[in-house]
Amino acid sequence: MDRERAETHLRVLAEAELRAAIEAAPASGGRWAADRSDASFARMARVARALTDVHALDVETAEAILAGFAAALGARQRTDLGRLMVHYESSLRKRLVRAPWFAWPSLGSQAGPGPEAPGSGRPDRGGPARLVPLGLTAWYRGDGMDGELHLLSYSRTASGARFTVAWRLSSSGSPGGHPLPAGLFGVTDDKGGWYSLSFTGCGGPDWAGEIRLRPDPPDDARWFDLTPPGGPALRVDVTPDSQRDGACPQVRETDLDPGEYLLNRTAERLLIAAQDFRPDPRAWPAGLRPGPLTGIASGLGDVVAALEAAGALSAVSPVPGRLAALCASLGLSGHGITAPPAHDLPEPWLSLRAHYHRRKPEPVPVWDGFAAVAAALPELDGISLALLGLHTAEGRTVLHLRASSPDGAGELPGPDFPLSVWVRDSGGRWHATQQDSWAHDDRESAFALHLVPPLTRSTAWIDLLAAGPSAEVSARLPLRWGAGHDLSAERSVVQLPAQLRG
Amino acid sequence: MTYLPNDPWYSCLPSCAAEVPCGTGRHEVRWEAGALVLPEHPDTEGELALAALGGEKAGCVALAEIWQRHGDDLSILAIGPRGPADEIKVSWQDVDQAAQLASPVAPLAHGTGGPPLGRLASPPRLPPGLLAARLRHSREESESARQRRTDMLSLLALGYGFQVRLTGQVAAAHADRPDDRVEPDDQVEGGARGRPALVAAIAGRLAPVAEEWLGIDPDQVIVSLHSGPGWGSAELTGRGEERRLRVSLPAGWLASVWACGLALAGRHLVVAVERPGWPDARVLGLRAPAQAGAMGAEPGPLDVHATLGAPGGPPDAPHWEV
Repeated sequence: MDRERAETHLRVLAEAELRAAIEAAPASGGRWAADRSDASFARMARVARALTDVHALDVETAEAILAGFAAALGARQRTDLGRLMVHYESSLRKRLVRAPWFAWPSLGSQAGPGPEAPGSGRPDRGGPARLVPLGLTAWYRGDGMDGELHLLSYSRTASGARFTVAWRLSSSGSPGGHPLPAGLFGVTDDKGGWYSLSFTGCGGPDWAGEIRLRPDPPDDARWFDLTPPGGPALRVDVTPDSQRDGACPQVRETDLDPGEYLLNRTAERLLIAAQDFRPDPRAWPAGLRPGPLTGIASGLGDVVAALEAAGALSAVSPVPGRLAALCASLGLSGHGITAPPAHDLPEPWLSLRAHYHRRKPEPVPVWDGFAAVAAALPELDGISLALLGLHTAEGRTVLHLRASSPDGAGELPGPDFPLSVWVRDSGGRWHATQQDSWAHDDRESAFALHLVPPLTRSTAWIDLLAAGPSAEVSARLPLRWGAGHDLSAERSVVQLPAQLRG
Repeated sequence: MTYLPNDPWYSCLPSCAAEVPCGTGRHEVRWEAGALVLPEHPDTEGELALAALGGEKAGCVALAEIWQRHGDDLSILAIGPRGPADEIKVSWQDVDQAAQLASPVAPLAHGTGGPPLGRLASPPRLPPGLLAARLRHSREESESARQRRTDMLSLLALGYGFQVRLTGQVAAAHADRPDDRVEPDDQVEGGARGRPALVAAIAGRLAPVAEEWLGIDPDQVIVSLHSGPGWGSAELTGRGEERRLRVSLPAGWLASVWACGLALAGRHLVVAVERPGWPDARVLGLRAPAQAGAMGAEPGPLDVHATLGAPGGPPDAPHWEV
């Protein structure tokens, strides 16, 4: 990686764009076309973002170059183009706020945090300390709202203890009101400790999120009694069970260039965006391509050139050719990739493309339900990842994950999910993932990713494949589905290496 | 008053002048021998002291401060003119309007980019302290951006003559700085400092000159920074779309050659000034670049003479003939 070459490339591109804009400018002081400068800036921003994504360029330098470019264009047009920088900064700067979830600080039988339970204290290190798949359902009734609360997992990590949950309202409550009857749940543990609850989550038809326990439960808590309003107490066993069957996560190095990783992520975005359009791109009218797809594909040639100039992508890398082939199969032209289309597309891409081309309904209905699954994955490119549950509602399958830096001292992952995650189901079909939401506390980030396409209930197991720039990890996770009307959601676990067990 | 006297990179440039708003009238501001001169304000230091005590600062004095503030600002190279045909016309009325406009503030709203955030049941909330800190930071950035924009427009409003002279001053200020060089091992950790900005600045100004010199597409001109003895190199490679003119020049070329309007003289690319002067000078000119694989072309001395008013350019742009 060569930062000087990366910065030089972006600055020289700015010179070329400015030169083209000057040449296209109307003679004798006529008005410049606004879309011309917008397109120039968009091209610059696309390349700048790619170079910052692979850390060939720092955000401040990229901003300075783009600000100078906007000022140079604006001075010649006698227009303030500061608006362009505002949009750019908003989309690029990680430090801008994107806190996504709503939260209520206290939800439970206690008005405030209870006393510290004996033995309380969080695990010293980041990452999961105890993960227990649950697969339990509690019914509640209160405040005019009846519902089912599905407990997907219990996890106790460096940032605290929580249940990962999904739930469904079986009667309509007040619009915009609290989806769970506040103040009516009670939680106690086997040592007589009691807890208040705070909820963080994503609302909508597929309500899901986390219920945080306060204070932190002791390390050796064996069970909790969850007493919902209007329903019987539910005993929740949180004892780790080392005898459960499962597969060990497999880690392997990928030897990808940073640029190859970035282009692979771009391919994922293309494949995911394609779901919203006609399944057969050949049916699209000539010259008319859906906006999001063309938006992602536009300027990919510029990105490839910049990555090569920065030393972030080998000139003989096969990935640009694969991306060109994918664009062609989706009917996208104008991407600017000069590499000839490759024939060796990765299996997940082919699987998803075949799904879109099938033009048939799902072979098996996608039913609402949930799978109790919890697994810690080995550290990947400085990120510890834990899978805390999976549920399907209204045709969307969502994975719940927590991510942290292994020693708790690194940068908190987010707001964008930092890894590529693919799922292969027991039928051999691949599913891409797209980030739905992000929330964080002081030590960890919680992400919800939805699968494209969703899982069917016939799925007996999944292979979860998480990949970073330098390595990838895969784990086979058996699934047994539960549903709201079905009490028998069963546990599904992965057998982890000893050093990863809580 | 005199600011930032420079090395004689400017020896091939005549003085120039502009009128600027000052108080209720307009005053002349001059550039002479690498420095900004305020004939109407002989006691600039005294005026600055009064301004520091709350008095009003004269427009000329404020402008001289802006000139000094940006005397080594590399962003000048990104914004300023690329040649006589690239005249940037900014009026003092534009400057006034920009000074009164508030900068657009980066939105603190959530979900302004990146992935979709899912369906929110209620708007997200920030702790009051964090929100206040972010608003304060946003206002500071906004004010800084406004100040910077006004500075740039003020400098551009001085006209083409001042614009190229400031470009020369900035380039000269960075031409011999050892910290602008990056060792290979330092590339990832240390960053590139000023070299990329200088390479791009030369590329953006040499490309149209090369088009006029050889008829080559400006996008086919590849520039690198020359350091060490000698003037640099120029080589033509490839054919058709693969044709490239690869030129390596020192950063000082921007100041001593380009800013003085000397880049092209008598169908020669001027690569250095041997004996500076106005309106007569001796330069080193290259008739043609080296062809790929052939021995490098060497520039020869040319005696050149200048008049004001480059063809197709502003009246104060120098035009040199062999």
